[in-house]
Amino acid sequence: MERPYSRVRVLVMLAIILVLIMADHLSSPTFAFNSGQGNVETALSQQAPLAGRPVPQHETDH
Amino acid sequence: MTDSAVLQAGLQQPGWQVDRFIVSTALAGLALLGGLIWLETAPFMVALFLIGAVLGMALYHGAFGFTAGWRNLVVKKRGAGMRAQLLLFGVTSLIMVPMLHSGQPGMVGAVAPISTSLVVGSFLFGIGMQLGGGCGSGTLFTVGAGNLRMAVTLVFFIIGTVIGSIHVPWWFSQPGFDPVPLVRSLGVPGALLAQFAALGLIAWWVNRIERKAHGNLHWDELLWRSPGRSPLRTLLSGRWPFTWAIAIVAIGNALTLWIGGSPWGITFAFNVWGAKALEAVGVDMSQFEYWQWRYPAAALRDSVLTHITSVMNFGLLLGAMLAAGLANRFNEASQKRPEGRPFLAAVMGGLLLGYGARLGFGCNIGALFSGIASASLHAWVWFACAFAGSLLGIRLRLWFRLPN
Repeated sequence: MERPYSRVRVLVMLAIILVLIMADHLSSPTFAFNSGQGNVETALSQQAPLAGRPVPQHETDH
Repeated sequence: MTDSAVLQAGLQQPGWQVDRFIVSTALAGLALLGGLIWLETAPFMVALFLIGAVLGMALYHGAFGFTAGWRNLVVKKRGAGMRAQLLLFGVTSLIMVPMLHSGQPGMVGAVAPISTSLVVGSFLFGIGMQLGGGCGSGTLFTVGAGNLRMAVTLVFFIIGTVIGSIHVPWWFSQPGFDPVPLVRSLGVPGALLAQFAALGLIAWWVNRIERKAHGNLHWDELLWRSPGRSPLRTLLSGRWPFTWAIAIVAIGNALTLWIGGSPWGITFAFNVWGAKALEAVGVDMSQFEYWQWRYPAAALRDSVLTHITSVMNFGLLLGAMLAAGLANRFNEASQKRPEGRPFLAAVMGGLLLGYGARLGFGCNIGALFSGIASASLHAWVWFACAFAGSLLGIRLRLWFRLPN
């Protein structure tokens, strides 16, 4: 039975997405923090104090 | 019988082919990205990534589309899809409303103002659902399953959210009321009762439409087994009865709240992805007021791997891909490439979905499903306005040569 898609195209698409995620991550404060740079404010380190207080709805995550 | 024997029996049933390439690619993607999230962020993010994957499988195998459910009621006068959604809202609010008000710190519900932006945004979103061919979750899981037309919708969905984010401070300055959490005035039991009464009223209206048109009701949403297939094969290759999908999606949203601190959402990630893409080509997003607000600014500055909604969306895409591979139906809906008016419908639908989601405090998941699960009045307003927009969208589908 003929496959309704190209395997190469699927792999290329997923590779592009992975490269974009990696490029974004490698230039992020979290990667800098993980690489040993101090004094970097990351989204995860901010989450603890944020938790438990009502975040303004227009800023929240929907 | 051992587990492996059960698996063998399920796999040996006639007529079931697995797309091994898609299944192994999806599993490799889940392992690779999951490992990266584990190494670079925190274990709870891996848990949320996996919850996203399970939700993607549930949405695909359950064929749990909000858009088709609404359209089936309007066009075919069949209400099973709509009743399944109502059942989902009821079950989830029964779990999540007490959770949110248990006094445990660190959990915030999906509560938003009743405002001009909510009414306009949800109405536009409803039109976009019918033109784009899906809602927030529907767009994402069908893209994961290889649907090309929905990939077009997703791209313009992302563009729409970014345009919306630029305009949204103006919309938020228009008339509106403060958020109305039902628990504040009714207490937890009262809020649950009020919501069940509203859901029951809508179910009665849905039943009336179906009975009037057909003289009977198809209670498909109450089936808990797929006829002629073993439970194992149904679990792996679908199609799941609505009850399975309802249970998994309800538990998934509750776990998201418990682990992540806020209910399940989808579209804010699209906003972040679009803004990051613009920044990559040299646009300074911080010139726009929305991207100076604390939460969006933090999400834009840091890695998508630290962003809960993005991570769950990645999981959802890969989970839907895995499910489509197990069902041997990956890319099945893309035999005919979108062109002409159907292509234009995907473009316009995507833009309306994105713009509407930004103005309306989210999509059918973040605003409607999670909003009702948080007992917030804004979710009910969103529901009514999006349904009204959907009615217009269904009429417009004819011009765009989309089948009803």
